[in-house]
Amino acid sequence: MAKLLMFHGRECPHCKKMMPLVEKLEQETSVRFEKLEIWHDEKNADLMRSYREDLAPKCGQQLRVPTFFDPETKDALCGEVDYDRLKGWALRQG
Amino acid sequence: MDLIRPSFPSNMIENSVRRAPLRKRYWRCFVCNDIHYGIAPPELCPTCKVLDAYVEISADEARKFLGGGPDTPMAWEDFRAAIGRFAAGREFEVNPDAAKVDLLLTGIFENEKNHGLKFCPCRLRTKVPKEDFRLVCPCNFTIHETYKGVPDGECWCGLFVRRK
Repeated sequence: MAKLLMFHGRECPHCKKMMPLVEKLEQETSVRFEKLEIWHDEKNADLMRSYREDLAPKCGQQLRVPTFFDPETKDALCGEVDYDRLKGWALRQG
Repeated sequence: MDLIRPSFPSNMIENSVRRAPLRKRYWRCFVCNDIHYGIAPPELCPTCKVLDAYVEISADEARKFLGGGPDTPMAWEDFRAAIGRFAAGREFEVNPDAAKVDLLLTGIFENEKNHGLKFCPCRLRTKVPKEDFRLVCPCNFTIHETYKGVPDGECWCGLFVRRK
C-alpha cells in the first residue's frame, strides 16, 4: 500500500487526539502515514498548499488539520474522526 | 454620559460615504484620535462618545497614529482575558477544557511569533493576505459548518464552543 500523508499541527488539539488512532491503525494494518507538521515546517506547509485544489473541496474549502491524504487517489479525509472512519478511509486508498 | 455633537453639519460624513465606493478606509476621531478602519466610520466614537467625529484619513496617516499605541506585544494572559470578555453573555464561550485552551493559545502565540498574526493552529495559511486574515483568532466561526446550526458546535479549532 502506498504511503498516505497526514498533515497536522503541533498545537492542534484535533491532531493530538488523532495521533493515537493513527498509531493504532499502523500497528493493526499495513497502512502507513507520513506525518507532516505544517505550522513549524514551511516545506511541509508548501507541500500541503500544493494539494490545495484536491484538499479544499473536501475540507470546507479550507486547508485544515488534521488532514489525511492519498497523493495517488487524491482522496482526503479531514478533521477529527473516529477510528472506524479513519480505518475505512485508509483501507480504501491505494 | 452626555453625548457631544461637533459643530460641523451632522450629514457631512454621511454624504462623503455616499459618494465614495464601498471599500474599507481609515477614519480618525477629530476629538480623541481613535482610528477606525472600515467602509463607514462609527456614528459614535467608542472612546470619547462624540457623535459624527470621524474624518477620513490616508493609510499613511493612520499608521502614524497607530504607531503611537502600545508597542509591547499582547501578553498570553491578556489575550486569554480578552477572548473571555469577547464571549461573555453570548451564545458561545471559551472552551471549558483548560488544557485544550492552553494548547491552542500556545499555538496561536507561536503563529504570531513565527508568521506575524494570531493564526488558527488548526488551519493553514494560504499566503494570500485577504484569505489569511480570515484565519486570525477569533475568526468568524459562527458561519462555519462546525458551528452554525450544530447543537454542540465549536469553532474550527475548538477554542470557542456553543454555551450549554
